[in-house]
Amino acid sequence: MAQQGHLVISGVFKTFRVSGEPLRVLAGLDLEVEPGGFLTIVGASGCGKSTLLRLVAGLDTAFDGSVRVDGDPVTAPSLDRGLVFQEPRLFPWLTVAQNVALGLLNSPLDKARRRREVSAHIELVGLGGFENAYPHQLSGGMAQRVAIARGLVNRPRILLLDEPFGALDALTRARLQDELQRIWAAERTTMLLVTHDVEEATYLGDRVVVMAPRPGRIAATFDVPLARPRERTDPALGRLRDDVMAALQATSSAGVAPKSAPVPAARTAPLLVSAE
Amino acid sequence: MSVAQLAVTRRGDGRSEAQPPTVALALLLPLALLGLWALSAHQGWLPVQILPAPSEALGALWELAKTGDLLRDTSISLLRVVEGFAAGCVLGLLLGIAMGLSPTVEDYAKPLFTAFAQVPTLGWIPLLMLLVGIGEALKIIVIAKAAFVPIALNTMAGVRAVPKHYAEVGAVFRFTRWQTLTKVVLPASVPPVFTGMRYGLTHSWNALVAVELLASAEGLGYLLVWGRQMFWLDTMMGAMVIIGLVGFLLDRLMAGAERHLQRWRPA
Repeated sequence: MAQQGHLVISGVFKTFRVSGEPLRVLAGLDLEVEPGGFLTIVGASGCGKSTLLRLVAGLDTAFDGSVRVDGDPVTAPSLDRGLVFQEPRLFPWLTVAQNVALGLLNSPLDKARRRREVSAHIELVGLGGFENAYPHQLSGGMAQRVAIARGLVNRPRILLLDEPFGALDALTRARLQDELQRIWAAERTTMLLVTHDVEEATYLGDRVVVMAPRPGRIAATFDVPLARPRERTDPALGRLRDDVMAALQATSSAGVAPKSAPVPAARTAPLLVSAE
Repeated sequence: MSVAQLAVTRRGDGRSEAQPPTVALALLLPLALLGLWALSAHQGWLPVQILPAPSEALGALWELAKTGDLLRDTSISLLRVVEGFAAGCVLGLLLGIAMGLSPTVEDYAKPLFTAFAQVPTLGWIPLLMLLVGIGEALKIIVIAKAAFVPIALNTMAGVRAVPKHYAEVGAVFRFTRWQTLTKVVLPASVPPVFTGMRYGLTHSWNALVAVELLASAEGLGYLLVWGRQMFWLDTMMGAMVIIGLVGFLLDRLMAGAERHLQRWRPA
């Protein structure tokens, strides 16, 4: 179990066609996540981080280079790789339990075992008692918990999370980050989380990768050698956050792209001030 | 007062519970119309040969009911509608799903389908008469065609409108095509599919009256035409009421089925 979930990405290039013109979104990406590791990727919008996640998930297989999990190349989605989207994407006509059970539709487990896994994972995300609730009866945070339970129900080797808390309010987001950390500590699933939130990336990751846009590539990598559970107010974490933020801002302001791109990271600050 | 109170106390418990006040409200307009009709007949606003009193229409219906003709005509027509609608429904759903899922099928089938749909149902009757005669087959085919077109169109649009996001969830869990269809596409497209089916049912009744008018000696449509030709307008009005009533009941039946499939929806 300990050696499962080893992700190796090497020399990955990805090009989209936008109105006939080739647009390079990933340029020569190399990345490795150790089994049971927690890697976070932070980058401005358009740096290709979600695209990368889709490649690892097997949803998009038209790329150059190689993505391997435990040595096997990724050629299609697999129950060994769970994916949690930014929106919960629950089916509104199914209950919480049925939504989670959907993840087991093609699982080799027998019926009794599936039922146990479903209720165990609903418990795991702290939603015991809500098995028969419909998605419209849940808050955004609860719905995302269900999505995490669905992503984990197959006990995948790797869980991929695509800005999973981006649409939640700050308090709920912080609580779910703690939950995710607890789940990771309990399950030891390899985690690959993509976010635009530097705070989230440093708080959760053993390693933080900063991606630069146009074309998407790795700008910097930071190890986070802090013990868990972590304190959000830990000064060491704060310093690291500043370093990651500086690296992130460098990706958008250092003029790496010939055309000066909009700078989302820098823009959010004044917007926040004016909103308050 | 009591109606308003009912509405207030029952509203929160879901739609089925809110029915008593809805029924009362729904009856208001028909009753008003009936009153107007009775008033007009009483005042002689229109000659009695053109607009007989409601009581006379009811009397004519009663006469027909006593002889058993009404029940026979109604069940004949109902059977034709049910058979034709069922056939049109199955074909419409199949074609709609196929065109909605596969651009290739759409490329092949859509132009012909559009042309086919453009020819009014009535326009098909002469050709069909030559092909299948004027027996039951003709009626079933005409009614099926009438139901088929709106069902196929709405099903296609509904299937196409299923969010791609949902299908992606299925892809992550390695859903087969069949699983994607039954677990994602069909449940997600229930509302538009049912809209199409309800249109289809209305069109079925239109087609029934048209085809019975042209080629039948029994059924509600026939009763209607016969009433008009004989200038027994009370019979004609009675037949209209029955057609409206049966159509209304079938529509409610379908609405009930839709609600059952969509019972997860917030009340």
